[in-house]
Amino acid sequence: MLSALIWLPLLGALAIGLLPGKTEANRFRSIALVVASIVLVVNLLLIFQFDPNSAQMQFVENLPWIEWLGLNYHLGIDGLSFPLVFLNSLLTLIAIFATNKNIERSRLYYSMLLLLSAGAVGAFLAQDLLLFFLFYEVEIIPLYFLIAIWGGKRRAYAAMKFLLYTALSGILVLASFLGVVWLSGDSNFDYESLRGLGLPVATQLLLLAPLLVGLFIKIPIFPFHTWLPDAHVEASTPISVLLAGVLLKLGTYGLLRFGVGLFPEGWAAIAPWMATLAAISALYGASCAIAQKDMKKVVAYSSIAHMAYILIAAAALTPLSLIAAVLQMISHGLISALLFLVVGVVYKKTGTRDVDSLTGLLNPERGLPITGSIMILGVMASCGIPGMVGFIAEFLVFRSTFPIFPIQTLLCLVGTGLTAVYFLLVVNRVFFGRLTEKLERLPQVKWSERAPAFVLTALIIAFGIQPNWMVRWSEAQTTSLATIDGQILSQNSQKLEISELKNNFTQNISTPQIISTEMSQRY
Amino acid sequence: MSEFLLQNCWLIPLYGFIGALLSLPWSLGLIRTTGPRPAAYLNLLMTGLGFIHGSIAFTAIWFEQVQPRELVLDWLQVADLDLSLAIEISPVSLGALEVVTGITLLAQVYALGYMEKDWSLARFYGLMGFFEAALGGIAISDNLLLSYGLLEMLTLSTYLLVGFWYAQPLVVTAARDAFLTKRVGDILLLMGIVALSSYGAGLTFSDLASWAETSPISPTIAALLGLALIAGPTGKCAQFPLNLWLDEAMEGPNPAGILRNSIVVSAGAYVLIKLQPVFTLSPVSSVALIAIGSVTAIGASFMALAQIDIKRALSHSTSVYLGLVFIAVGLGHVDIAFLLLFSHSFAKALLFMSIGSIILNTSCQNITEMGGLWSRMPATTTAFVVGSAGLVALMPMGMFWTLQRWLNGSWEISWWLLGVLLFVNTLCAMNLTRVFRLVFLGPPQPKTRRSPEVPWPMALPMVTLTIVTLLVPSVPQSWPFWLSLTPPLELTNALDIELGIPLLIASGVFGLVLGATIDLRRADARPTQTFLRFWQDLFAYDFYIAKVYDVTVVWAVSTISKITSWIDRFIVDGLVNLVGWATIFGGNVLKYNVSGQSQFYILTILLAVSLLLLWSGITGQWSAVISNWLSSANY
Repeated sequence: MLSALIWLPLLGALAIGLLPGKTEANRFRSIALVVASIVLVVNLLLIFQFDPNSAQMQFVENLPWIEWLGLNYHLGIDGLSFPLVFLNSLLTLIAIFATNKNIERSRLYYSMLLLLSAGAVGAFLAQDLLLFFLFYEVEIIPLYFLIAIWGGKRRAYAAMKFLLYTALSGILVLASFLGVVWLSGDSNFDYESLRGLGLPVATQLLLLAPLLVGLFIKIPIFPFHTWLPDAHVEASTPISVLLAGVLLKLGTYGLLRFGVGLFPEGWAAIAPWMATLAAISALYGASCAIAQKDMKKVVAYSSIAHMAYILIAAAALTPLSLIAAVLQMISHGLISALLFLVVGVVYKKTGTRDVDSLTGLLNPERGLPITGSIMILGVMASCGIPGMVGFIAEFLVFRSTFPIFPIQTLLCLVGTGLTAVYFLLVVNRVFFGRLTEKLERLPQVKWSERAPAFVLTALIIAFGIQPNWMVRWSEAQTTSLATIDGQILSQNSQKLEISELKNNFTQNISTPQIISTEMSQRY
Repeated sequence: MSEFLLQNCWLIPLYGFIGALLSLPWSLGLIRTTGPRPAAYLNLLMTGLGFIHGSIAFTAIWFEQVQPRELVLDWLQVADLDLSLAIEISPVSLGALEVVTGITLLAQVYALGYMEKDWSLARFYGLMGFFEAALGGIAISDNLLLSYGLLEMLTLSTYLLVGFWYAQPLVVTAARDAFLTKRVGDILLLMGIVALSSYGAGLTFSDLASWAETSPISPTIAALLGLALIAGPTGKCAQFPLNLWLDEAMEGPNPAGILRNSIVVSAGAYVLIKLQPVFTLSPVSSVALIAIGSVTAIGASFMALAQIDIKRALSHSTSVYLGLVFIAVGLGHVDIAFLLLFSHSFAKALLFMSIGSIILNTSCQNITEMGGLWSRMPATTTAFVVGSAGLVALMPMGMFWTLQRWLNGSWEISWWLLGVLLFVNTLCAMNLTRVFRLVFLGPPQPKTRRSPEVPWPMALPMVTLTIVTLLVPSVPQSWPFWLSLTPPLELTNALDIELGIPLLIASGVFGLVLGATIDLRRADARPTQTFLRFWQDLFAYDFYIAKVYDVTVVWAVSTISKITSWIDRFIVDGLVNLVGWATIFGGNVLKYNVSGQSQFYILTILLAVSLLLLWSGITGQWSAVISNWLSSANY
């Protein structure tokens, strides 16, 4: 079942690549659409069979692959990966659908897109460190081509930057994985057997450091973020959707799965530092976004700011904060995908994304009124207006991290406030005002161009009103991740008196060693 | 039947929302053949249904003495957090809901006339339905989180309604400012909610009250928490320092202005009243409430005096009365706060209906270009007079009775409070008289010469509301206590109590006389004395608060963002590019070494070896090497 999720898109990519003769572009598009739809259907089938109450891996497939290396083809799905796998297949379908029908070199394009999807889903499903690494690297290659071939003017620069950054990220992750296996003396890379080894905290920190840097590049967290705005600006719309919606989540997923899962005590020891970094990253992304003139750059920087909330939630390491991190991943995936789609439509119709040269697009007769309305809705969702998924995810993040990192949380909340500033500036400039003569003859937006945005909008509102539909899949798993032997891992579990906590806070942030010794005493 | 409707009264806000959804096909332009009117009718129908439903439920709980109850919806249980949403079914909440649906219904009928020629009538009605849903929800919500959510929806719909005519430049800035100002308050409120929830308080208002009694947090945190919770309503109620949006929001369509100046600002204050128990935790909160309220009440009274835009002249007075509500909440006089909201809502809604008629007829908002309308528009004039009388504590109307209840000895009154009330009453009377004289009296001017009375869709709600406003005094007369069941105090002989009411009437008369005698300035007349000009400009430009914000907050945010962006481009990214450039440059330089000449390679080797030797010589490695040799030679 799980293999199908990986191999179907791979086979589809192969079929598109090997289909004989010079077939017209639409043939490849329909094949890709069919494959992506089948994958989505398989996912829907999974929903019915998935047991949300179990904290165990489900649908496990375990085949020995290269035994002397300790590499197994070990797949499994749990509450942590399930929403992301679903998000991936949904956004893949949307990305294919949103692709320009007359795209050049469509054979390569669609096969790369499917390969990308297969790589991402493989990474989410892998239960073997080395296997995860393989998929993590596999996904870079198609994305590099997708940016370098179908990108904008500076695509070569952006794609190379992306490649170097993520390759470095991969090396660091690999170094950490190898270190785990060597230092623990284990013979294989299996995730389950490497959990709960109880490595000394110092060792854990040593191994955690490269892993964190590697994943921070991927997420991205300040100061490792500069590849992202470039990549987003140069990539075409569907690629931006996938990049923001799914591929960045590989980083945060890695944080939760491997950072928390393999090095819980080390993680808890440096959590205050990570929370501070997350707060800086959120504020940094937000204030950079205010100064941007390119709509896509605004969304890209807002992406950096919003991904930082996942880091702070993961750092807090309580059952509530981990589920909040998962929700924020879903919420960011849906909302940023929607925003990129809408910006893409505006770009396609007007030929520019420059905030200064666009105005009055909300005009009901000659502008893009429905696109504008969806943009306003997406922007509001991103600002965290209740009734949409952004609010509940952010609320849970802040609510769960506040008792542990009050000051960092408040800084992140300021970042949320700034979201309204930069997005409102964009909306006011681009959609309000009077339509200029230059923009008066805009082509009509077809319903097929709007359809993907409508699907995402519906999900954003549905999950916003009924967050239970998201929470139930992951709660069991995140709770088990945050606890060992029924004990909550977070160093400042919420039983602490709040006043005491306030006093502790400043000490904690400056002296993580003390906590780490406490942690090591416990084990 | 009534029991069923009572049990399901949570549906009432949804009527407006359904109306908004039903008008989607027209506002999205899917149905064009019918014109936008059907959407308006559908919305009216839904609001009407909501009003009828609400009325039946209200009469049931009011007259049949049904027990108040709470409906709980388990919204989200996750980990150790329980987010349940609660609806309160009580005379107070249903009464508030009744006011909301009633005024909305009237405003929507009114819009039928006012917005008649607008091409996006359907969108307007959709937004009004959304507005109504959020307002109605706040009225019956018994949960801070739910109220917060609805306040945010209100922020959103205010943004969209103010930005309704988005092609005008002033509207664009007004909508932006409205959203951002409210958002500042909302974010602080959200911080407060997050903190409250983290400190173990349940989020229903009754839970908060009982939690506050045990007072489990330190004074500093209690003070900060109180300030955060006050910030949200401060933005919503247009109080200093978040007051400017309401003034600017007058660029939006007037039917929305009716709601905005009466029940929308009240929604924020309503939440504030419900949060009052939390403010008792820290004296800082009540001081802050009183300070904010007094500063706004006094400052906005001055601002109103210098306005020549008819809507702005009245919108500042909204801030004034909400300032009084803040003072009342700060003092713990919640019943009075309720009465103030109630009396103010009707009077202000009526005033805005009246000036809406004037604006529609004259296509002008500048009061210095008007005059002589009283004989041409009798119903409008009556509405203005009744609305003003309801607002000024002079005639025995709503505000008079409300303030009378405040000063009659049931509450502890200090002299400063009496001073603020007298001051506000004087200036309000003066301002309304001034506007009345400019608009209705005097000779007709070019823009007011041809102005017949408004058509029935506007006249009908206006006359209805006139009658309702005339009935409003019965509420403070008969039911002065909404939350406290008995009067907290029974003072009769204190000096301020005895003097309060006469002084209040005197202040009203004084304001009236001032307003009636001041020299009215028409458009062509600006004071020539610099002294007068200074004060006029100071008030007319709202004490230059907007400018102050421009050079402080706005400047700071934009500068910081520019600096960050510069750092991002040239330092963070610059470093990355430098590494890349250095790599390529290094490679390019080194490639010239590969010349193929063996002499060159030997020279390189020689150089490298001699450098190595030199380095070992300098750092004293040689001695180690030599001693090593010597020791091996010994064997």
